[in-house]
Amino acid sequence: MNSFAIAQPKSYEDASTLAKDKSYRLAVIKAGGIDLLDHLKEGLIDPDVLIDVRRVRAAGAKAPIDVSGDTVRIEAGTTLAEIAHSAELAKAAPALVYAVESAASPQVRNAATAAGNLLQRPRCWYYRNEQFNCLKKGGATCFAVEGENRYHAIFGDGPCHIVHPSNLAPALWVCDATVHIVGAEQPSIPIRYLYHTPDKGVRSENNLPPGAVITHITCKPAKASGFYAIKEKQSFDWPVVAAAVALELDGTVIKSAVVCAGAVAPIPWELRNVASALRGVDVADDAALTKACAGASAGAKPMTDNGYKVKLLPVAVKRAVLIAAGRKAEVES
Amino acid sequence: MASDTAVSIPTNMPTTNRPMNLGQSMDDNTSRLDGVAKITGAAKYSSDMILPNSLFARFVRCPFGAASLESVDDADAKKIDGVIEIDIQPKECQYDGQPVGHVAANSPMLVDRAIKALNLKWKKLPVKTQITDTVKEEIAKGDVKDADVTFAAVYSTPVQTHSSLETHGGVVDHHGDKATVYASTQGTSSVRDGIGEPLGLKASDFEVICEYVGGGFGSKLGGPGKELTLAAKLSQKFKRPAYVMCNRADEHLDTGNRPSSMTSVQIGLKKDGSVVGGEILTYGGTGVGKGGGGVSIPSGRYNFQNVNKKHTDVSFNGGGPRPFRAPGHPQAAFAEELMLDEAAALIGMDPFTFKRKLVKDDVYREMMDMGAKLIGWSDRKETGTQKSAMRTGYGIGTGGWGSANPGGNAEVVIHQDGSVESRTGTQDIGTGQRTTMGICTADSIGIPLSFVTVQIGRSTLPPGPGSGGSVTSPTTAPTMMAAAAQAKGKLLDVLAKGSGGDANEFSVKDGVVLRKGEKFLAWKDACAKLTPDGVTGSASTGDGGKGNSQGVQFIKVVVDCETGIVHPKHVIAIQSCGRVICRKTAESQIIGGVIQGISYAMFENKILDRNNGAMVNPNLEWYKILGPNDMPHIEPVLWWHGQTGVKSLGEPPNIPTAAALACAVYNAIGAPIRHLPMTPDKVLKALEGAAS
Repeated sequence: MNSFAIAQPKSYEDASTLAKDKSYRLAVIKAGGIDLLDHLKEGLIDPDVLIDVRRVRAAGAKAPIDVSGDTVRIEAGTTLAEIAHSAELAKAAPALVYAVESAASPQVRNAATAAGNLLQRPRCWYYRNEQFNCLKKGGATCFAVEGENRYHAIFGDGPCHIVHPSNLAPALWVCDATVHIVGAEQPSIPIRYLYHTPDKGVRSENNLPPGAVITHITCKPAKASGFYAIKEKQSFDWPVVAAAVALELDGTVIKSAVVCAGAVAPIPWELRNVASALRGVDVADDAALTKACAGASAGAKPMTDNGYKVKLLPVAVKRAVLIAAGRKAEVES
Repeated sequence: MASDTAVSIPTNMPTTNRPMNLGQSMDDNTSRLDGVAKITGAAKYSSDMILPNSLFARFVRCPFGAASLESVDDADAKKIDGVIEIDIQPKECQYDGQPVGHVAANSPMLVDRAIKALNLKWKKLPVKTQITDTVKEEIAKGDVKDADVTFAAVYSTPVQTHSSLETHGGVVDHHGDKATVYASTQGTSSVRDGIGEPLGLKASDFEVICEYVGGGFGSKLGGPGKELTLAAKLSQKFKRPAYVMCNRADEHLDTGNRPSSMTSVQIGLKKDGSVVGGEILTYGGTGVGKGGGGVSIPSGRYNFQNVNKKHTDVSFNGGGPRPFRAPGHPQAAFAEELMLDEAAALIGMDPFTFKRKLVKDDVYREMMDMGAKLIGWSDRKETGTQKSAMRTGYGIGTGGWGSANPGGNAEVVIHQDGSVESRTGTQDIGTGQRTTMGICTADSIGIPLSFVTVQIGRSTLPPGPGSGGSVTSPTTAPTMMAAAAQAKGKLLDVLAKGSGGDANEFSVKDGVVLRKGEKFLAWKDACAKLTPDGVTGSASTGDGGKGNSQGVQFIKVVVDCETGIVHPKHVIAIQSCGRVICRKTAESQIIGGVIQGISYAMFENKILDRNNGAMVNPNLEWYKILGPNDMPHIEPVLWWHGQTGVKSLGEPPNIPTAAALACAVYNAIGAPIRHLPMTPDKVLKALEGAAS
């Protein structure tokens, strides 16, 4: 770690101005600092300025989480712990609560922020190791292709094969979320356009214009929504597959669904085929539900060691559907 | 120490779920004496010793499984202000983490910066990263002509790193003619013996201190180690305290490990469950190490007739092994117990009946009977009969370990002011040594534990054994009891002389000196009759008693057959331990061994990139260790029947666990997972295999 200056702007606009200041070699935003510290310790980045936005709040911010009528609003600096403990969100958009409850550890959740979670870099062990100059870092090779790829992607990958590590992103996706920003021409980006696949560029995962700063996130309420992660360890581990689901229900019959998978692709991976297959399915009909979710891995291209993800994804989707339909007790029973 | 902190935490906690362990130990209720100090941070480990004007150093290491360091350009690194010394020599390296030299600087940050600024030219060489790169499947072929049925299989276990929370290394403070060495070690005395030379001092001119150590599990034995040796040399050379501690990656790469194993078995059985022939071929993945890969199967606990055994160590490009909690045993028990469960299924026998019959020693039979009741073995369904998504399974594992007393020294001082010091140079690596020494002393004398101050972990104290082989308590407990008894004897002699009576009229109970059973003097008043030097009792050995450390574990597991996740639910860990000194720390030791065994069975795996041999997970994010939500309910059962003396407890409880869990999973899903760790991909694959 080299020395750096720390700037403490009072607004996101000021933060954005600092982020665009060409007199700095590398100015990076510090929110909770969780992923930032990992990068600094591993020697992956070498900023000369940290722009500390941990205590900055957007002009229109009323509370860390605000649910009024038709809009759910979460501030960029809202912590994962605040989301996890929010009784309002548990009613209005439970997928978000389930998603963060499953993430990291209680201590990390106390510091990690919503915006930081969306923008975190991948956990790929080649990316995170200084010794491997992989594609994402400007090198010539993706070491996972012929190397250790048990935790890598089965969809949307190539030439880089990371999975996007955020639980919150697929959950916000099914709630049709929008990410609001300052410092760019457009005031917001829908979350479904926030990320790009590696074939469109490997050096970053998201489409934020340079110097843009997230101010808050809005989404629609999704009362019947759920999230399910399959993790090797039940404490402090990343999912091997995850699924977020939002349903429109008529009794126990699904009228429509949005399904988005996590940990299987370099971006949150929407499963439109499963959403179609779920239409008209009665969640109480186990056989029909299983059949509708069976196509979750259609089109997947597993790598040498991650074929098991193909089998696990339909299970995660089905369990997320049951949770969304208020049938959590049937999961793991 | 607890008395130094303002935190008030009750030290007597009632037992709620282990009534059967009550009443057998010298002390049922005392909590670990240093528990509060450790939790609040009052306890100072070697890694906490950041002394004024310290210099810091780290090794520079090969980043690949095999590579030749062709050239070193340290010009940029040397320019960094605050860099003190850079010493790197070109050489050919054979594992990721192999040191090629070191960098010393005024701060850890500067060391990192300097290492990054080095221009090292490496030429990568071809690598082997696992046993099977050299040994293709070797099929065991024994003499099974008398068998009704034969069974053959291959089992394997991964490389497991000790992952001590406090890493390897220490601090040396060299003053020119004297030095203080803060070691993170399992052998205070062995550090004393090995550090004199790099210090350039005689043993009488330095002290080794290791009052607290954050884990070792076998990797911190055998002397100062290269980190502390470097610290000694740097401290002497630059006349400043030298701090050399591994970072987390170093710790995974180059501080030893439990070697991987491959076990190929073929056994022949008769329908009545007897084993009448076979062959077992074992392979130990020792990386670059020479030896240390042994796999202790057959364990000798079961009656195997006419089964040959052959072992081979296999090299590959990885760090060499170091002793790790019952070396050779957990990997062997896994293969042996699962093999027996599979064999039992072949002849249609319940593995409980089968193993109970086949085991040699009656102690195991008694333990199995008790364990079966406690776990609810009668609820067990026959292997392969469950079709639901969530399946429940039960498994049995056994373990055995000797008990040794290599000799150690202890001293007890009773002061004129009534305070009592219990002194021994040995260290507490988490075993509760500090606590047991206090209890032994207090109990032997007849005074409350609160009158006793325990001093451990210094080379200037009476030397004690290294904490390896689970010999610490079996050695120090009887020795300390003997020293305490001697000190007490001297005190009573003084009282006898002073009152014109006979020494054997006097006794001590609950801190009161009795004469002929009647209250004679309060403890403080009795001690006031001593001279200002007090009295000292010392001993260098004690009676080891009889009996070994045997154990049986029963595990109940629920396997989610849709996700492949293994959920251990309940562990009954029956462990013989002779005379238990402190119930709570003894139970804790058993629980700790079980935790580490579950973690080994389910998660731990040192993964080397198959192309360049680098470890891809040298951190606690991807080198997965069990966490709170992965924990089953663990019930330690202290077994003292037929034993006297203090027995080994550090390693034995770690032996049966992975084995019992693997057997339970096999019972649950109807297919064996023969290769640890039991990750979801393997469970799903086994289920697929069973379905077809």
